Amino acid sequence: MMDVLTSFTFLIVAIGTMVLAFTGGLAGTISVMKGQSLIGDAIGHATFPGVVLSFMLIGIRETFTLALGAIILGIIAFFSIQMITKHSKVTLDGALALILSSFFGLGMALMSFVQGNPDYGGTQGLNDYIFGQAAYMLSSDVYLIIIASAISLLLFIIFYHQIRIYIFDPVFSRTIGINENFMNLLILTITILVIATGLKAVGAVLIVNILIAPAVIGQLWSNRFPVVLLIGGFSGATAAFTGTYISTAGENIATGPAIILSLSAILVLSIFLSPKGILRRGAHKGKLGEDQYD
Amino acid sequence: MTENIITIKNLNAAYQEKPVLWHISLDIPKNSCTAIVGPNGAGKSTMIKTMMQLIKPLSGEVKINGSKDKHELKKIAYVPQKGEVNWDFPATVFDVVLMGRYVHKGWIKRPNAKDREMALEALKTMRIEAFKDRQISELSGGQRQRAFLARAIAQDAEIYVMDEPLQGIDVTTENLIIEVIRHLQQSGKTFVIVHHQLDTVGEYFDHAIILNKSLIAAGAVETVFTEENIEKAYREKVN
Repeated sequence: MMDVLTSFTFLIVAIGTMVLAFTGGLAGTISVMKGQSLIGDAIGHATFPGVVLSFMLIGIRETFTLALGAIILGIIAFFSIQMITKHSKVTLDGALALILSSFFGLGMALMSFVQGNPDYGGTQGLNDYIFGQAAYMLSSDVYLIIIASAISLLLFIIFYHQIRIYIFDPVFSRTIGINENFMNLLILTITILVIATGLKAVGAVLIVNILIAPAVIGQLWSNRFPVVLLIGGFSGATAAFTGTYISTAGENIATGPAIILSLSAILVLSIFLSPKGILRRGAHKGKLGEDQYD
Repeated sequence: MTENIITIKNLNAAYQEKPVLWHISLDIPKNSCTAIVGPNGAGKSTMIKTMMQLIKPLSGEVKINGSKDKHELKKIAYVPQKGEVNWDFPATVFDVVLMGRYVHKGWIKRPNAKDREMALEALKTMRIEAFKDRQISELSGGQRQRAFLARAIAQDAEIYVMDEPLQGIDVTTENLIIEVIRHLQQSGKTFVIVHHQLDTVGEYFDHAIILNKSLIAAGAVETVFTEENIEKAYREKVN
């Protein structure tokens, strides 16, 4: 057990997933508060064919090119969703379901094709991008996560106030000169950097969870935006550490599910224990009742 | 002669791809308090959104201070309709009012002590400084409206454009808002307000725009706010 904790490989991988999940918590809070959580899910699934396609084009599993493929397909998915909702009668949830399943389906089809094809060698690792396998992460994977997260965080910090105003009151934000297209592009960039670089650790199917769950946890504990962000970020990082540990120490447990289960555990605790949680809300109601007699 | 702060020339505009404003030409005098009235679907909100460049007109133009420059928009404070805001967002009343100061900040600059002071002054003007640390979502309808007006005051704009600020609020807030508007008007500000209570137009406003997709009349309240014009605007809707 201690072997794992002190192992250099484990520490490097854990740092990578923690940085990723911390940034994911921040990026996800934007989408959750904008009521767009499922766009992250659609983009997450849509990145998978991007990974397989860039593998088919380049012929090797190289960290940077696979992430680039993921980003490109993620962006295509995002704009396809926008096109569908803008130019047809299909509603947002319909468009999301359509894009999510068809892009992911394409990814699965392409993967079956290359796996049974003698022209493509070294295809085993592609499975890892579906559910995540942090144990097989290379140091280049971790560096990429750190670089992408740093860019995301930097953008978040620079445009923090604009993001806040844009989420709260998009019409007002336009009247004070904040460009709506720019903001959408900024939020997409921040989100997609987390998704595309986190695929190998968490997997395309579950990556949305490291965006949404921390945001929900943060909102349960605080009514102040900066505090919501920090609680979200740190819950993500904690779950990433635990999940990576479980996955590395245990046999054949994919990292994605392990991180998600850890996040869910924090979420369940928060639902009961947080100020807005089930237990405390009951107590708070009693207090409000007492106030009436003051 | 009065100076016009907003001039609209031959404006045609659509809302959600349906044309709602037809050939509107009018002037809004500087330092006036102008009501925009008309039946539901008359294009009142579309008109102010076009003024704010939130909606792109199909044709025609809106000039602020004689200019079409986007920079002029920073001189306008906009008070939205209630439904336009994300109430789930965690923000205190003070946060919201301080947002008004960002119009004068660059991309990176944070609000300073003076900005905070101005936000606090605006809260005092609207008599909600006691609520400054409350969540905006916890306030009543009238208090929320006060907070948004406080944000507009903190913006320190020349023109205040408001979309039905008096809808669904208590009498005390309504009186306070009118009092504050009068006070700001005396210091040279201009108000353009979508208003739905016809019985108070004469009391609250000095100018009126009567609208039902096309312009029925615009000018001083005593000359344009006649029974004939009102009937014209509201009858068309019935038919």
